[in-house]
Amino acid sequence: MDEFVKSRIKQVRKGDQNAFGEIVELYKDKVFQLCFRMLGNSHEAEDISQEAFIRAYINIERYNIDRKFSTWLYRIATNLCIDRIRKKKPDYYLDAEVAGTEGLTLYSQIPASQLAPDEEVSKIELQEIIQNEILKLPEKYRAVIVLKYIEELPLLEISKILDLPIGTVKTRIHRGREALRKQLRHI
Amino acid sequence: MNRCPEIITEYMHEYLDGEILPEHKNILTVHLKFCADCRQHFQELEKSIALVKSISHVQAPTDFTQKVLMNLPKEKKKVSVKR
Repeated sequence: MDEFVKSRIKQVRKGDQNAFGEIVELYKDKVFQLCFRMLGNSHEAEDISQEAFIRAYINIERYNIDRKFSTWLYRIATNLCIDRIRKKKPDYYLDAEVAGTEGLTLYSQIPASQLAPDEEVSKIELQEIIQNEILKLPEKYRAVIVLKYIEELPLLEISKILDLPIGTVKTRIHRGREALRKQLRHI
Repeated sequence: MNRCPEIITEYMHEYLDGEILPEHKNILTVHLKFCADCRQHFQELEKSIALVKSISHVQAPTDFTQKVLMNLPKEKKKVSVKR
């Protein structure tokens, strides 16, 4: 995989856009998923993941070919997501979670323990609830949780993507897990 | 739980990171047998991880790659001229 990607990137550097198309095909689902779980909205996720690939293309000369390409790409995508989250922060918690998930925000704000015991939560509802709880995490915890448990990346790679010491990554994962525990315990 | 040493929670996270030393694991296992509060704490951690992992994987829209390629600058230096 790595060798193949590197050979394609050499072609991209020579101006071969089709070679870049192959790279996009290989990584599009991973990058889209990362953005979707970080942002919670498929339109924004598409916007940002498109942007990530375009930036990767424009900056391809800056990519160090001795390193793992996916780490570099995820880093671009994660930084774009974090920027987007910070920009929309003031009204984010009021508005964004309501869009496209009618009633969910209201619903999920009721402590689960107050739900009727026989309430059947469908699989899709459950997924929306979990996604919503991930979105409630501050972005520094959200990023590590998504990279670790959705993208299933090793700690070392997460530390490279976020440019943080591995100890910091671990601390954030621990705190993120504790926050999720409190949010999800009654589900 | 409140009266339990904080180190127990740290061992739980070491375990969840897959990096626990055998002796720490031993202490954790024994403590969880005796302490219902810590056992619950640990089960809640495991459950929340399982829930997060369970959300099904999403895929990029079908025209994703085509859209990226359409929006690439034709030649890198001409970007500012074109837009």
